[in-house]
Amino acid sequence: MNVQIKEKHLSIPIKMFSTNPTYTNPKPCKHLADYKLIHGLNGYNSLQKSLKTTPDGRTAMNRDQSKIPRCSFCSGYEGRMYFCLICSSVSCCSSSDSNHAFLHSQTENGHEIAVDMDRAELFCCVCCDQVYDPDFDKSVMIKQILEMPRNNNGMDLSKEKSIKRRKLVSKVISDSKISKELVLRMDRGSKSCFPWGLRGLNNLGNTCFMNSVLQALLHAPPLRNYFLSDRHDRETCRKISSDRLCLSCDFDAIFSAVFSGDRTPYSPAQFLYSWWQHSANLASYEQQDAHEFFISMLDRIHEKEEQVRRPNKDDGDCFCIAHRVFAGLLRSDVTCTTCGFTSTTYDPCVDISLDLEPSNGSSTEVADKSNKLSQNISTLLGCLDLFTRPERLGSDQKLHCEHCQERRDSLKQMSIRRLPLVLCLHIKRFEHSPIRKMSRKIDRHLQFPFSLDMAPYLSSSILRNRFGNRIFTFEGDESDMSTDFELFAVVTHSGILESGHYVTYLRLRNQWYKCDDAWITHVSEHTVRASQGYLMYYVQKMLYYKASEEMNCLLMSPRGDPFLPTAECC
Amino acid sequence: MRRASSINRPPTPDAEVDQEQELSLQEIINIKLIESGEKERLKELLRERLIECGWRDEMKAQCRAFTRKRGRNNVTVDDLVDVITPKGRASVPDSVKAELLQRIRSFLVSAAL
Repeated sequence: MNVQIKEKHLSIPIKMFSTNPTYTNPKPCKHLADYKLIHGLNGYNSLQKSLKTTPDGRTAMNRDQSKIPRCSFCSGYEGRMYFCLICSSVSCCSSSDSNHAFLHSQTENGHEIAVDMDRAELFCCVCCDQVYDPDFDKSVMIKQILEMPRNNNGMDLSKEKSIKRRKLVSKVISDSKISKELVLRMDRGSKSCFPWGLRGLNNLGNTCFMNSVLQALLHAPPLRNYFLSDRHDRETCRKISSDRLCLSCDFDAIFSAVFSGDRTPYSPAQFLYSWWQHSANLASYEQQDAHEFFISMLDRIHEKEEQVRRPNKDDGDCFCIAHRVFAGLLRSDVTCTTCGFTSTTYDPCVDISLDLEPSNGSSTEVADKSNKLSQNISTLLGCLDLFTRPERLGSDQKLHCEHCQERRDSLKQMSIRRLPLVLCLHIKRFEHSPIRKMSRKIDRHLQFPFSLDMAPYLSSSILRNRFGNRIFTFEGDESDMSTDFELFAVVTHSGILESGHYVTYLRLRNQWYKCDDAWITHVSEHTVRASQGYLMYYVQKMLYYKASEEMNCLLMSPRGDPFLPTAECC
Repeated sequence: MRRASSINRPPTPDAEVDQEQELSLQEIINIKLIESGEKERLKELLRERLIECGWRDEMKAQCRAFTRKRGRNNVTVDDLVDVITPKGRASVPDSVKAELLQRIRSFLVSAAL
């Protein structure tokens, strides 16, 4: 039964992020500008020899162990020491009263720019302030890259020794007692306390992989809004396209059915048939992988829309609903370990696949008592850390360096350039070994947060962490990107590889519901946390709360009758 | 003609030679700390401790507050150092001070041997 909904203008922003025109590199002071005009990059390059990088990634001017740098005025060695880029003399500055760096600039004409020896940062002796030059930072960065310590498994040692900061560590649930689930009886009346849009999906023969993903997508706020606002008009679609099969149309039909108020389990047969038509290789009653299904579904939606809308391929972003909701942009930096030259590429993605590794707890020499426990548990944040960690590519994976004009050993680092509205995180639990012709499943429990801040995994954060306080502009500032996400669906897998079962947990208005094919039950947070996460769906925080508000406005008839909306109050 | 008194003046002493004669015990210890690399290690330890206990975050916040009040373009590194240093020194946790002092003591004992 189709529900008549007053069409609300739920516009999905197409370009979520715009470049921030007010962000630019700080302008050089007159003295730095003059210095650059006269000396160019010579000073910076000759400085490289004296730079040394500490294990935790900080660069300083190498202090000759036998000779302590002393101020040329007072022979002091305390306070901040500045190295003149013109004459290489050292001056100290211990307070604004005793500023010998300034004195140096007054006694020697033109000796205005110096380097803070402890920090390898530029200083203007006349302005008595730090100054910034991207060229300087570049030359320091190159030195840092070349000096990165090597070790066996190719990990960047400088980040292994990460210092554990004061963070909110979520409590570790050791023995999870499965809480009593409130199982409501299947009759209509008692289901009336369920939120709108919760309806079981019948298993049509090992189709839990499909049902689980569908449940998650049915409650992805931007998708839900799009289809419930009738943005995909089935009539128009049928008229326009010659190909009568359209997955979006069938998906739209499921939306209508699920949000109709009818609580009896629904059979998405038409949808399954449509999907089979397009994914012939997967058309069988065998078990399939939920992630593969998710990707193929987005693919079908995208292809269809491309056919209809843009016969010519356009440059830039795709505006089909699948991409508008799920597409993000990944950045990959590949650095040649011989010359330090880095090449950057951007690739669009509709999800992020993460390797499941035990979380690297702090491995500092200093004992970290409070976090000993977390060292043995895999966490989602640990997987994201692993994803964005620099990886030393094996000698069989040498990449061509433009600078050296040869294949060289390289370092690769991933980061996220642009976040989507809905972020799908896929945990690689299925290991396929082509050599042994075997696949196995990794059952290890993964701890995942309900609220996720993706800021540390953005390109700007990753690069900043790697190179410290170096100034360089990004193509478009990322500070206006919202990075807070809320979990709204978890697709879990239980059982072995060949015969397992997918179940989805949905979070609606801060309550959790288990969607196990035709059976929907209310469960506790505890149960969700103890489950084996396979696909985690996060949505931008503001969209999650907006969706919750919208749900609150629409009241259910207490008798569980087919739903009739009251006037919207928001 | 009378000779200028400047001729009879002894030659200007070499700055470094002058320096060595005036080295205090404190300075000698400091030099030993640096030359053995212990000072670097102590600095690293101190850095870790101050980050762990949130001291660095607190200082960052104070710097931001100060900069916001004064105006971003009216603040230099010197200003910040002058203002934040006393606050920073006063807020180092006693446990951190104690640990470092202990390390320095051990070093002195081993250096004296």
